[in-house]
Amino acid sequence: MSYLLRRLEFFAITLWAALTVNFLLPRLMPGSPAEAMLVRFHGRVSPQTVKAMEIALGVHSDQNIVQQYFEYLGNTFTGNLGVSLTFFPTSVAKVVMLALPWSLGLVGTATIIAFILGTLVGMLAAWRRGGIFDAILPPVLIIISAFPYFWIALFCLLLFSLTLNWFPLGFAYDLTSSINLSWDFIGQVVSHAFLPALTIVITSIGGWILTMRNTMITTLAEDYVKMARAKGLSPLRIMLQYAGRNAILPNLTGFAMSLGFVISGAILVEIVFNYPGLGFMLLQAVNGEDFALMQALFLLITVAVLVAVLIADVLTAWLDPRTREAT
Amino acid sequence: MRRNRFLAAMAALVVLASACGTSSGGNAQAKVGGTLTIDNESGGLWSCAFNPFNGSVTGLSVGIFYEPLVYDNLLTDKKTNWLASGYEWSPDNKTLTFTARSGVKWSDGQDFSADDVVYTFNLIKQHPELDLQAVWSVLSSVTKSGTDKVVMTFANSAVPYFFPIADQVSIVPQHIWSALKDPVGDSIANPIGTGPFTLGQCTPQNITYTRNANYWQHGLPYLQTVNYPAFTDNDPANQFLAAGQAQWGGQYIPSIDTYYVGKDRAHNHYWFPPIDNIDLWFNTTKAPLDNKAVRQAFAFGVDRNQASQKGESGYEPPGNQTGVLSPTFDSWIDQGAASKYGYKFDVSKATSLLQSAGFTKNSSGVMQDSAGHKLSFNVITIAGYTDWDATLQVVADSLKQAGIQVKVQDLSSNDYFDKLFSGKFDLAYGSLNTQPGPSPYYELRNTMDSATTAAIGQTASGDYGRYKNPAVDALFDQFGATTDSNKQHDLIKQIQAVMLEDVPVVPVTEGVAWYEWSTKDFAGWPTQQDPYAAPAPWNLPDMEVVLIHLYKTS
Repeated sequence: MSYLLRRLEFFAITLWAALTVNFLLPRLMPGSPAEAMLVRFHGRVSPQTVKAMEIALGVHSDQNIVQQYFEYLGNTFTGNLGVSLTFFPTSVAKVVMLALPWSLGLVGTATIIAFILGTLVGMLAAWRRGGIFDAILPPVLIIISAFPYFWIALFCLLLFSLTLNWFPLGFAYDLTSSINLSWDFIGQVVSHAFLPALTIVITSIGGWILTMRNTMITTLAEDYVKMARAKGLSPLRIMLQYAGRNAILPNLTGFAMSLGFVISGAILVEIVFNYPGLGFMLLQAVNGEDFALMQALFLLITVAVLVAVLIADVLTAWLDPRTREAT
Repeated sequence: MRRNRFLAAMAALVVLASACGTSSGGNAQAKVGGTLTIDNESGGLWSCAFNPFNGSVTGLSVGIFYEPLVYDNLLTDKKTNWLASGYEWSPDNKTLTFTARSGVKWSDGQDFSADDVVYTFNLIKQHPELDLQAVWSVLSSVTKSGTDKVVMTFANSAVPYFFPIADQVSIVPQHIWSALKDPVGDSIANPIGTGPFTLGQCTPQNITYTRNANYWQHGLPYLQTVNYPAFTDNDPANQFLAAGQAQWGGQYIPSIDTYYVGKDRAHNHYWFPPIDNIDLWFNTTKAPLDNKAVRQAFAFGVDRNQASQKGESGYEPPGNQTGVLSPTFDSWIDQGAASKYGYKFDVSKATSLLQSAGFTKNSSGVMQDSAGHKLSFNVITIAGYTDWDATLQVVADSLKQAGIQVKVQDLSSNDYFDKLFSGKFDLAYGSLNTQPGPSPYYELRNTMDSATTAAIGQTASGDYGRYKNPAVDALFDQFGATTDSNKQHDLIKQIQAVMLEDVPVVPVTEGVAWYEWSTKDFAGWPTQQDPYAAPAPWNLPDMEVVLIHLYKTS
């Protein structure tokens, strides 16, 4: 119990620190948001327009930075995230909701698939180390993971979408569709997400395999595994309950972290497949000095990572009794 | 034949007859239909806001929903009455009277009237944040006169402001907008306009525009549906276009002949008409850049042809020292004066100019004056604009031969614009950030007229180099006071003479309107032979004019 309390304490302090950094960082950047908008239009708007925008956006605020800080803290806890500058006059919450479901769906699913597959492959490879399975699959997948993501994604796009026409060219669903809950629409979403998800899985799976396989091999040499074999337990039970359960701990922490980062989207995926997601939005917010949007996104990412780590801590405590006793 | 179509814009049937002459014949209804897809990198998802006075979303509503009073072709300065059925300048050019067109309806069925025009202009007066063209910097009043006249008065003669006022201000419906609590912050999710299309559906990744069957130009538009997908980056947008899934493109495509045209040689085309200059700006307040001879040496020392070829793959043509775009505004160029100065890449001419100004080459080949001040400058540019970096490499290499050292400084865009507008630079590379206009006046004025500049440290709307010449300022004022085309041409000639003599900037290349189109399923496109509108989907309100010309052929 005190272990969990300590984790919660840590969570609160980190959250506050993150919130403060989140407030300060964007304000240390040079330039003004309205000027940044010029970039988006490649110089198609005039300084008069910029001036008009500055007034509209209220960026010439007279508040001092301390007032702004407390207002920011208050707004954060009441969920009032302000108005986006890049998407003026749309509220930040609405802008984030445009992209959040797609990021969660695509990157989240792909991360989970990569983790489960990678862990299983790593476990099996270690269980039968030196076998054909171990000799081929892990090295091949690890080598593929080392390829630059851009290359793999463009290659898949050129081959499967442009040449073979198996999958659509970009977007999250057919252009003229609106979001609804019909089977037809779900089918569209799946076929649009397939290639991006596939490329995320094959480029990230190597890491899971490597960690799992290595930890598993060490674990298999432990006395309690030998003991289990001596007791005549079924190999499946030994692999999953004795070796696997212990070997998965490092991977689990890594998984929690990467689940947290799902929120930040995957910029390269979104660019190559023109997929609506938070990664590109974050880039845009930074380029456009969109403080409100930037802060909301950083906040989301921070909170998601912290929560994911907290959950991983709880899970670790549950899987590994030693962490509980250590307190 | 098509070139004259616009004279007949009011009589759509006449337009139709002439257009049909080239195809199959038939009537208006026969050609209605088809779905066109626009392909233009927007850099973000759509937020489905359609406020024509919100600078970040104008491209989605101006023209297509909200129309101008007079359409003024950016490339040819040909004026076509639009929501105004006529206009007239007073003899002193201080009063401009528009006649509101009758028979125009808003897309909710209400009648358009002069009241809407008066309301719109007073709305942007009341809310300066909506006045994107700063038209109230010259307007004194906008009032209604009689039943259908709108009278605009100016403090001074303001003939060139016709373009921003008549072509660039979108007219909105008074009966809708006067009920809005906050016209600045309202996203206008359900736009009501007079334009040729109405909003079909908007999702974050695509906007569907639907044909307005009651459009005042009867029989138009031909297209039933227009899709406008949101592309966050150039690459996917280019793939989409090359795969034939979109028909109208508006962005840079590398190796366009193989990548785009090569995919379908019979149907895929491109045309990049120049619309502004990309200049090397001098900070004319700093020695030795305040010395005319040094600036002239730059004009001889920059290899513009190589800059265009190597930096911009030849898609953006080299600039010329008159500052007048070629070929767009060829009729304005004073060829005699241009050849008298004969600015071309000429190292020995640049060197001799510098030598007669008292500079000598030091041991490392850099020119310096008697006090030992070297001709060594930083040029600011935007990090990530790789074509500009390549261009500046050519500029630096060619100037080095004349003994001028130029170091490229890549800045973040915010930092760059801040320094550019406030004049905190030696040399800057870039174009004006003001709207180009339908004659060379607009760009030249914003480049040279000291009325557009500001003190160092303050934001200037033009003349970033802080060039000051009362004689040239007076020429711009005279241009503003005349509607006589001959006189205007004469004044631009005199201004070119100053440009050639004083070299306030060196136009290195010409920025273009990126425009790609496919004739596979649609016809009626603007072309070099028939430039009835500026052709990029982001040229506003020209986009509307292109859309009502397009029709399906298969």
